[in-house]
Amino acid sequence: MIPLLSVERLVKHYAQGGAFARRGAVVKAVEDVSFTIAAGETLGLVGESGSGKTTVGRAVLRLELPTEGIVRFEGTDLATLSPAELRTLRRRMQIVFQDPFASLNPRRTVGASVAEGLEIHKMLPKREIPERVAELLEEVGLDAAYAHKYPHEFSGGQRQRIGIARALAVEPSFIVCDEPVSALDVSVQAQVLNLLLDLRDARNLSYLFIAHDVALVRQIAHRVAVMYLGTIVEIGPARTVIDAPKHPYTQALVSAVPQPDPTKGTARIVLAGDPPSPSNPPSGCPFVTRCFHPMKDSRCAAQRPSLRLVAGRDVACHYAD
Amino acid sequence: MKSQRGWGILLLGLLVLLAVIGPWVAPDWHAMSDALTDALLPPSRAHWFGTDQLRRDVFARLAYGARVSLVVATIAVTVAAILGTMIGLAAGTAVGWIGATVQRCINVGLALPRVIVLLVVLAAVGLLSPVALGIILGGTGWPAVARLVRGEALRLREAPFVVAAHALGATPGRVVWREILPGTMPAVLVATTLGLADAILLEAGLSFIGVGVKAPIPSWGGMILEAREQLTNAPWLLIAPCLALGLATSAATLLGEALRTSLQPDTR
Amino acid sequence: MTPLLEVANLNIFFPQASGESTVPVDDVSFTVAAGELVALVGESGCGKTLTGLALPRLLPRGAEMGARTVIRFRGTDLTSLSESELRTYRGRRIAMVFQDPMTSLNPVMRVGAQIAEAIHAHRKVSKRDARERVLALLTEVGIADPTSRIDAYPHQLSGGMRQRILIAMALAAEPDLLVADEPTTALDVTIQAQILELLDHLRATRKLAVLLITHDLGIVAGRADRVLVMYAGRIVESAKTARLFSHPAHPYTRGLFASIPRLDADTTRLTPIGGSVPRPADWPTGCRFHPRCGAAIAHCTTHRPPLEAAGPDQLAACWVTQGMTK
Repeated sequence: MIPLLSVERLVKHYAQGGAFARRGAVVKAVEDVSFTIAAGETLGLVGESGSGKTTVGRAVLRLELPTEGIVRFEGTDLATLSPAELRTLRRRMQIVFQDPFASLNPRRTVGASVAEGLEIHKMLPKREIPERVAELLEEVGLDAAYAHKYPHEFSGGQRQRIGIARALAVEPSFIVCDEPVSALDVSVQAQVLNLLLDLRDARNLSYLFIAHDVALVRQIAHRVAVMYLGTIVEIGPARTVIDAPKHPYTQALVSAVPQPDPTKGTARIVLAGDPPSPSNPPSGCPFVTRCFHPMKDSRCAAQRPSLRLVAGRDVACHYAD
Repeated sequence: MKSQRGWGILLLGLLVLLAVIGPWVAPDWHAMSDALTDALLPPSRAHWFGTDQLRRDVFARLAYGARVSLVVATIAVTVAAILGTMIGLAAGTAVGWIGATVQRCINVGLALPRVIVLLVVLAAVGLLSPVALGIILGGTGWPAVARLVRGEALRLREAPFVVAAHALGATPGRVVWREILPGTMPAVLVATTLGLADAILLEAGLSFIGVGVKAPIPSWGGMILEAREQLTNAPWLLIAPCLALGLATSAATLLGEALRTSLQPDTR
Repeated sequence: MTPLLEVANLNIFFPQASGESTVPVDDVSFTVAAGELVALVGESGCGKTLTGLALPRLLPRGAEMGARTVIRFRGTDLTSLSESELRTYRGRRIAMVFQDPMTSLNPVMRVGAQIAEAIHAHRKVSKRDARERVLALLTEVGIADPTSRIDAYPHQLSGGMRQRILIAMALAAEPDLLVADEPTTALDVTIQAQILELLDHLRATRKLAVLLITHDLGIVAGRADRVLVMYAGRIVESAKTARLFSHPAHPYTRGLFASIPRLDADTTRLTPIGGSVPRPADWPTGCRFHPRCGAAIAHCTTHRPPLEAAGPDQLAACWVTQGMTK
């Protein structure tokens, strides 16, 4: 069976910008990333800032052109499509952004933003659009009368719902959720998260759910991929990976999640130092500079580990067991 | 802020009023009195701002000059705004070599000294009607607007709501027209209002050195030029156009600054 | 024993020209004992940041404090002091660390010089002694290779290191109380763990009292001695940490716990609090949480609940938990 989305050996390099940048310096944002997402499945993509997770999300939608690698949607290689064909396909794959303040055009009404996709793809006759916009707003838990208001009249959580309605308007089957709740207040995060879960069930949606919060991803994703410095270091069923991580980085990441439970104590593993710069990654294993694995040796510094099956998930570590 | 805008609108309104109805109520601007004794009269009830050496009413010439100044300046900033917005949008949104080339053109336009270009052009074409002068002024004023629009467009291009429009399948043209262009408009409006002051001064300067509006059509710059010779015996000839010029530029600047502050917080 | 810091009836308001004034901090009282870590927890706009700024009286322009407000530090009421008298408290006795380590540092000044400035501001020391002292501070806050980092500019350092520099600046004058406002919110989780470990270490070695202002109950657990929960400008619950986490009393606190994804959860769904956090201009009458509260009764809509005992070492401002029905 063909997966809904498949990403094969994705690479994205940026030339370092600015007139004073070192000549030829390249930011290696994504290095050799592969994964698939099935219909109705949610893949969580976790990592810290600079891990390349947002770039993967943009490249999957071809909002950024990958340097190398293939992205297939329902078996079609997106690179082979003409610009017009790609625009048509965009109906099927959508995105929800992190910042609810910047993701809506401040000069257009909520209704105009939600109707945008309907107009672009001429999905309905003009006079039927307001009714459809009203239905969409109600589907995401908002009052249909909000269509005539402007974004600044809404709270962060409400704006995030509007952004979701805009994405849903074109009836997608796949949505990239790029940190959709991390800018929201704690008491509102859960509302938006539950909405995404409801929509997933009602519309059989697939999500690429990008987040830095491991606990959140554990709650919403079927499978999880952990990124570090542009590569996937561990990928597998969400609870298998997060409840018993095998890669040292995943172990540290899970251990560092602040948990509202005093009996659990504080982080057991505190990594030393900062992640290396993506323009100058270490040779060999990307995690070698901060790794605490007792068997770490010269092989780790020389040879990049590839993903291999360990205890029901794939791990990129020479010594994980 | 409120009072700034109020003063700006009030002053500009007065000038427009002067330009529109002044020439109707005041005597003809080119009418020379028959009596030789009417030359260089100081301000009086009959001649509010006095008369000049050719026995013409200064107020009438000032009012007609306001018409000339405002027409020239308005045409100049409109032409600059339209050209600048189109070129700036092209530089800020076109990808690859097209954007880079347009950006070079803007830089060249910015690097050329505007007054010298104007002198060369005007020397070549000779004295002009106010409309033609306005178009030429606008034709040299666009690079500043283009730079501004390009900056705004580059910023907006990366905004999530613009990326969202691409993701929805909008064509590049639709994205530029519906998402980016409206976002650049406040900056253009502010620049245009502030540019009005520049254009008025520039027209006055060119007329002052004799390459602007064709005499005998009165313009404030030309009036200052003529008043120079009578500075000691008829200072009102100089004071009236200088005052008008100062008021006009202050009005445009006040209004521009007020617009700048009131258009800023629109995202919140 | 008198506490190190005692805040009573803290009122902060922004007088408006129209006469209507918003009151983002409304009658807040609490204490911090010497060496104690008290967490002030709340969501955006609840007034927690203003509360922290009020302690050394660093309120933003236009904000005023109420006449009944008392901020007693080691027995001295700071609200009665002049600006020059206050300077011996600001930084010297009460130091602050903010969320954004980039904007809190001067971008064109070497970090060592910035820390040295903090030392000179409070004590007369020679240049060489100051440099020695800066190096010692850098080492204390866990900067690797301090002799080379001392001459770095802020942009040459990572976010985690910049936050360590800010902590070093705060420690320069040997304060008794550190007010840390979301000190790890801008950082990645693995870096957050480092900074929290540093705070724990400093508290243990220096007997430093800390007021930790945060939105994250997770970083409070196992770290704070006591927790104050703020909602819409008021403290709604105050308790020993273990008690708060095992028996949260106020419906808002309970709602917060239910909203947080947990690593040991069995279900996929969370139980959110309905509605959204109101802005100060829209704060409701009575209990400010009542429109979002599942347990609210008619009395809650009109009467402000007092902060009263709800269990051992625990206060809550809720009519329902205080036994009122219907």
